[in-house]
Amino acid sequence: MDDAVERLRAAKRPVTPLAGWYGHPLHPVLVTVPIGAWVASFLFDLASHVVAEPQFLADGSRWLIGLGVVGAVAAAMVGFLDFLAIPGGTRAFRIALVHMSLNLAVTAAFALGFVLRAEPEAPVPPGLIVLSGLSLVALTVAGYLGGALAYRYGVRVADEATQASGYRTTTTTPDP
Amino acid sequence: MAIAALITWLVTALGGFVMLGTWISRGGHRPGGSTRLSPGLVFTHFVLAAVGLVVWIIYLIAGGDAWAWIAFILLLPVALLGFTMFGRWLSSRRNDTAESRFPMPVVLGHGLFAAVTLVLVFLVAIGVGD
Repeated sequence: MDDAVERLRAAKRPVTPLAGWYGHPLHPVLVTVPIGAWVASFLFDLASHVVAEPQFLADGSRWLIGLGVVGAVAAAMVGFLDFLAIPGGTRAFRIALVHMSLNLAVTAAFALGFVLRAEPEAPVPPGLIVLSGLSLVALTVAGYLGGALAYRYGVRVADEATQASGYRTTTTTPDP
Repeated sequence: MAIAALITWLVTALGGFVMLGTWISRGGHRPGGSTRLSPGLVFTHFVLAAVGLVVWIIYLIAGGDAWAWIAFILLLPVALLGFTMFGRWLSSRRNDTAESRFPMPVVLGHGLFAAVTLVLVFLVAIGVGD
């Protein structure tokens, strides 16, 4: 068999059931927590410049950042297990390396944001909103690369024979 | 001291990731792979340490002594499993196992930083430095 196809098959298999079973990776489940929390935090930051009494938004924004950091670390753990499933020296491996590095940097940036907001100021200062905004841009790029890994290169996605089993119809077509 | 524990914990994790990566790339996790570290041992150690790290970050963010104690209690089986694997690694090092490729400084550094982390987490949990 083609070596590339053999390496692709390796990238589809979990290294341990802890990373989710075949065709059901846990990493995409967990990444929804930091993405949702950080996007909501950014919206709270912007809203803090609009509403009359913005302190609750500044406080809430900081908690959302913290929640996102916790979720990101959990997502990183299972993401790392999927990273180890990808054979080295391949394009998929290099994309995964950039995806991981970007996301670790984004998590560090939000952790820094959490520390800088020790005593939340309302409305949220523009510098902190810019930090969150830039982090979200990097998160988007990292997410795009993660999407490429799954949907273009099929990392942790079930093989086509398994996929086809979802398309069999119950009615049998008579032979012509 | 809680931040110092986070840093030593992350350094320990980095060493663990290097060893896990080496072990998986040599097929240690596959059924019938050449290893004396069973996948159950390796991944239980990994998942308990990972959950502990998440709990520690929750402690740093939200506070509350209970989180520090949960993190410490999680680290006890992690240490026990780590010692077990260290013993097996020592005896399988000369054979051509997946773990025989672990660099000595990474193994020793991982153990050293893990021990420091365990002590720091315990000191924080009992309230030293409050």
